[in-house]
Amino acid sequence: MSGEEEENAAELKIGDEFLKAKCLMNCEVSLILDHKYEQLQQSSDDPMNQVSQVFEKSLQYVKRFSRYKNPDAVRQVREILARYQLAEFELCVLGNLCPETVEEAIAMVPSIKTRGRAQDDEAIEKMLNDLSLIKKFE
Amino acid sequence: MFLKVQLPWNVIIAAENLKPGSLMLQRAILIRLLSDFAVKKATKDMGYFLVVTTLEKIGEGKVRQHTGDVLFPVVFNAITFKIFKGEVLEGVVHKVLKHGVFMRIGPIENAYLSSSKMPGYVYVLGENPYFMNQKMPKIAKDVKVRVVVIGTKWMEAEREFQALVGLEGDYLGPISSPDM
Repeated sequence: MSGEEEENAAELKIGDEFLKAKCLMNCEVSLILDHKYEQLQQSSDDPMNQVSQVFEKSLQYVKRFSRYKNPDAVRQVREILARYQLAEFELCVLGNLCPETVEEAIAMVPSIKTRGRAQDDEAIEKMLNDLSLIKKFE
Repeated sequence: MFLKVQLPWNVIIAAENLKPGSLMLQRAILIRLLSDFAVKKATKDMGYFLVVTTLEKIGEGKVRQHTGDVLFPVVFNAITFKIFKGEVLEGVVHKVLKHGVFMRIGPIENAYLSSSKMPGYVYVLGENPYFMNQKMPKIAKDVKVRVVVIGTKWMEAEREFQALVGLEGDYLGPISSPDM
């Protein structure tokens, strides 16, 4: 982050290197960490001893805060959100918090309205509907 | 936010660990990388290091003159966790004090939610103290809370981040969604 402009994720000011980086939703991280953990289980009797504290804490966290568990649903969530010209960061905040209303979505990710993009309420509404359908059929 | 990053690092293999056979060497490099990665824990710029997902490239080794160790440049993909000012996320309360509560958010052990950033809440003393207000569920130990990040601080000695979080904003506060 350059010191010139103050960091503010609400306005999507998170530094160029992070704006371009691929972000991951909690549910995606959960699948990846789970898979790694299973691999370790096969090669070791005491897998928890093999992983770092950061890994362990993160795994606990994403398990608790994943709205979608089924790998197909996780993939669909990203596919749906990817249709709406969101920045990676915005996409993942929405996927993590699963807002129920347009108003809530804008409160969570104010930049979807301010970046001069034609993200109208109707489009946001449709996006939230699509997401809640995945949840229902998971 | 969890991030997918590609990092170039140098891995040093001690001379006595250089055994013949390229697979053995690759394995030694990978093992060393994984342990360096775990020990490093976090950096100010990248955040916390969770896991190495794939090793992309192992470059040409260079012998270091005085020790005879060999240094290999590697490129690998990994997942990191970094929080940003202004970001909204959810965490779990693990300690309730009179002046505020401490929360766990991902690998961050101490995200501090000060009572001054909990508008309308009052502290209730007891065996299990908590914060309450008129409308919302109470904020107690093990309760999930949605917060906005007010500021972050890198602690070089501990290789850790501290975060200040708050509830000043719409749709923030304790959450009780039965589906999670």
